[in-house]
Amino acid sequence: MLAVKLLWRNARSAEVKLLFTALLLAVAMVTAIGLFSDRLAATLLKQSNSFIGADRQIYSPQPISHLWSQQAQAFGLQQVRLENFSSMVFASPATAGDSVQSVDSSLSETADGYSAHTADGSVAVEERMQLAAIKAVEQGYPLVGQMEISTVPFATAPGDIEKTDAVPALGEAWVDSRLLAQLDLTINDSVFVGEKSLKITRVIITEPDRGGGFSLFAPRLMMNRADLDATEVIQPGSRIAYHWLLAGTELQLKAFLDKLQPELSDHHQLVDLERAQQGLASTLATARQFLLLAVVIAMLLAGIALVISSSRFAARHTEQVALLKSLGASSWKVRRLYLGQLLLLALAAAVAGLLLAEIFQRLIALAVASMAAVELQPASYRPYVLGVVSGVTCLIFFALPPLWHLPKISPLRILRQDLPVSSVRITVQVLLGTLAVLLLVYLFSGNIWLTLSVAAALLAVVLAAAVVALVLLRLSHALGSSAGSVWRLAIAGIKRRSGQSLLQVVVFAIALLLLLTMYAVRTSLIDEWQLQLPSDAPNHFLINIAPEQVDAVAETLQRRGLNTAEIYPMVRGRLVKINAAEPSAAQREKVPLLRREANISWSKNLPADNQLSAGKWWHLEEENELGSKGQKGLPRVSVESKLAKKLGVEVGAKLQFSFGGLTLDAEISSLRQLEWDNMKPNFYFIFEPKVLDKFSPMYMTSSHIPASEKSVVAEVLRGYPTIVVIEIDKVIEQIRDIVDKVGRAVEVVLALILVGGILVLVAAVNASIDSRLQEVGLIRALGSSRKLILGSLAIEFSLLGACAGVIAVLGSEALLLGLQQQVFKMPVAPHYELWLAGPLLGTLLVGSLGVFSCRRVLNTPPSVVLREVG
Amino acid sequence: MGQIMLQVKGINKRVNTFNGELDILKDVSLSLERGQSLAITGASGSGKSTLLGILAGLDTPSSGRVCLAGVDLSELDEEGRARVRAEQVGFVFQSFQLLPGLTALENVMLPLELHGVGSAQQRAETFLARVGLAERLSHYPKQLSGGEQQRVAIARAFASEPKILFADEPTGNLDSVTGSKIIELVFELNREQGTTLVLVTHEQRLADRCNCHLILEAGAVLPSAEFQTTEIFPC
Repeated sequence: MLAVKLLWRNARSAEVKLLFTALLLAVAMVTAIGLFSDRLAATLLKQSNSFIGADRQIYSPQPISHLWSQQAQAFGLQQVRLENFSSMVFASPATAGDSVQSVDSSLSETADGYSAHTADGSVAVEERMQLAAIKAVEQGYPLVGQMEISTVPFATAPGDIEKTDAVPALGEAWVDSRLLAQLDLTINDSVFVGEKSLKITRVIITEPDRGGGFSLFAPRLMMNRADLDATEVIQPGSRIAYHWLLAGTELQLKAFLDKLQPELSDHHQLVDLERAQQGLASTLATARQFLLLAVVIAMLLAGIALVISSSRFAARHTEQVALLKSLGASSWKVRRLYLGQLLLLALAAAVAGLLLAEIFQRLIALAVASMAAVELQPASYRPYVLGVVSGVTCLIFFALPPLWHLPKISPLRILRQDLPVSSVRITVQVLLGTLAVLLLVYLFSGNIWLTLSVAAALLAVVLAAAVVALVLLRLSHALGSSAGSVWRLAIAGIKRRSGQSLLQVVVFAIALLLLLTMYAVRTSLIDEWQLQLPSDAPNHFLINIAPEQVDAVAETLQRRGLNTAEIYPMVRGRLVKINAAEPSAAQREKVPLLRREANISWSKNLPADNQLSAGKWWHLEEENELGSKGQKGLPRVSVESKLAKKLGVEVGAKLQFSFGGLTLDAEISSLRQLEWDNMKPNFYFIFEPKVLDKFSPMYMTSSHIPASEKSVVAEVLRGYPTIVVIEIDKVIEQIRDIVDKVGRAVEVVLALILVGGILVLVAAVNASIDSRLQEVGLIRALGSSRKLILGSLAIEFSLLGACAGVIAVLGSEALLLGLQQQVFKMPVAPHYELWLAGPLLGTLLVGSLGVFSCRRVLNTPPSVVLREVG
Repeated sequence: MGQIMLQVKGINKRVNTFNGELDILKDVSLSLERGQSLAITGASGSGKSTLLGILAGLDTPSSGRVCLAGVDLSELDEEGRARVRAEQVGFVFQSFQLLPGLTALENVMLPLELHGVGSAQQRAETFLARVGLAERLSHYPKQLSGGEQQRVAIARAFASEPKILFADEPTGNLDSVTGSKIIELVFELNREQGTTLVLVTHEQRLADRCNCHLILEAGAVLPSAEFQTTEIFPC
């Protein structure tokens, strides 16, 4: 009870306010950033999951069991079903039986399921039919994300585009604009899918789960599932992909899928974002790591603030404890009183911190929403728990040690204030603090490398601080006598408070280190993300260009000011034998590529984004003879490394391909690693030049077509109906949008950390103010000018700041080394800009904060200052 | 002969310094009856405050015995001495030792609350009124003059009705007029409550008002006509 009264009375004092503020900040910062990160991660995941139209997708060549649907319902999951298949669609009324045919087209396995393309890509325009990728959907599709539709083909104006949660009504179809162009139809015309006539009511502008790359050669036709039976295209043996889309919380999904797992066969493919969009998934994973780092850094900053404030609290309460003991309070009673006060303070700070965090994160969410028009998902309870846990841990490890000695203070100190106070040794405090930091970092991140990196950085700071302290002291000896009065006063100040100065340098250095590291990581990440998708990245692919059409197409594009960057030759072929043996049924089951044709290209040079992982690339000039043979005397082919692994082949293996019935033997001369979702043409097989010339190659090219020039697509399709245009502009836009949002979120978090860091610096500067105030008051009383005092204070703090800046850069490089190598998996590079920014920031920030904090002394009569600090 | 309140037998205090061992107190003995007052004077560094600390149980002697209110402090640890202080002792300090964050009333209530006195506020108000500060209850130390601060400290000391009051230079930080008023107040309360008073002072006029006067020089008691030690007996 007395503890409550004492705390209530002490609450008016500056040191209790400071301790409360530090604890409050610890809880609020960790919780707010944790909450925001949690919400952001959930939001980004949700938004990114629109790439699969759901949180998870299961697809199979066989219908999905209805029993599973009931189970999913029991788990509280949302679900819809859809079917994907290829079929010819006809523009004019046709008699059933002679014109309707289900095409046994080759199916390619892609991230979003199966899609189809013709064997030769040809389209019989005279009969006005076209192979289409049919998607039969039901109400509720997509579970995540939204479709954009329009009544204007190739619409780009926002006014023409409508976002919808609906699906095509019975008897209606929504189609890709290019299908209209290819069939020469307009909105409200009808098409036949099998036996069923469907009225085209909308064109599809974006379809969330369409996927990037070349997943959809044929144009999309979307229809209602309820019309499917009437089409009669689904017959025994038809190649249909049955998709089951699921949405719910991660907990629900995990619980359900864990239960379902034993029932899934080899035919069932489970798709999540990781599988559908590796690049985006890794961007999100990196962003999550960054946010995690932000939480850890916020916690460390709060820890520093706590150490500073509790040390100050302890210093100010020494006399109070001595008085209490002289009044007959036992050590045990004093300990109980202080623990009681501290716990009450922690409780109040935790409650207030959580409230503040809630308000804070809502404000951040509002700010982010106004920038990026994003609706944040609710957070889990975890950040609240983490906030309180970190507050309590910080209290125990950071705030308690400086206070631990209080009950042991001798009551005699009330008479003799020169008696030394035997506080917990600084080494013990540092060890405890470091232990707490590492424990918390590990608890938060579960990442041993992040923990070790932080440990290395802290060690670097301590070592560097020791060296800097030595150098500084030597310099002060050397400069002290020869310097001018302002410098002499400043250097004398540092020397006189050498212990405190060193401690301050370490605190400044750690705060600056954390800020520099956050800044460097943020800059590297954003740079890397922007590099992934430059603004002029090709967003349209023109495939199936006949050799004689290449120039005309290029000319059409150039007329619109569009460039066709590269032209790739392409032949469709099938891998039929591996080392002279036909693939087994099991192999064919395991590797979908063995069941279909692949796009095969040739190239003189290794494509820019590919990396050789085994063998050698051909160097034709050096080999003197174009088309020279491999070791077995066969043409050489380079194979994508993951496929090679699945096929169980290595460099030197013999492969046989079939190109429209003609076979070709080849020898693997190299293996390549490549990024499938880099939005660039990628090939499983690349031959050396000339070898495939006899197999009637077609060509493909890519171009960046901005929205304003979108009509060129219709122009090309009308002029050259055999060309297939694949539009990935919307996909790229979608990815870029998410990456932009992640980038903005990272900026907001960085700003928050900056504010936190500056608050810590202010606290650190203020901690030394008491002793300075008395000194400055005395110097003022002795008649020193404002200018002299101001100058010496500026120099003293700037010197400390500069030293801290240098140490911070060293520590930051140590931390970044670990982070880049092990956490963010980024190339390791020194950060030259930090070597300039660190000392400069330290000098300016600490220097100006120091002068600012002492300004009151300069503006107050010396007598008042001396009386106050007594 | 009245009840013996304080007895000291042959206490020495030796400390280690950079220049070797230093004897701060040398064989000090004294005895004080209940209600008596003792002034300890001496030059700076003569060991006055050290002696006061040992007498009050704030410190321990290197050798010798101190009996306070019948309790042999030499046999107690710090916790035991704290108990004795809580029950028997009050303090007035030269630098007042008021907690800056507490009001005058709260400062006086502090020892009462510490010892679990039920009517702490009422008693504190009474004593503050007794020292003439009834109108300054909610003032903080920095809002009070030096004399007023010392009066708060005196109210705090007497509020817990100690059997013995130790005062360390109670007028040391005050001008002579204010100092005189403070002395009057201390002796008045001393009389009213029958408190034994031990004070360290530089001021002869203050020493003159005490029953006994002990002069320290380099840690040893100077023989003085004004100071009669009574016979030492075991406590």
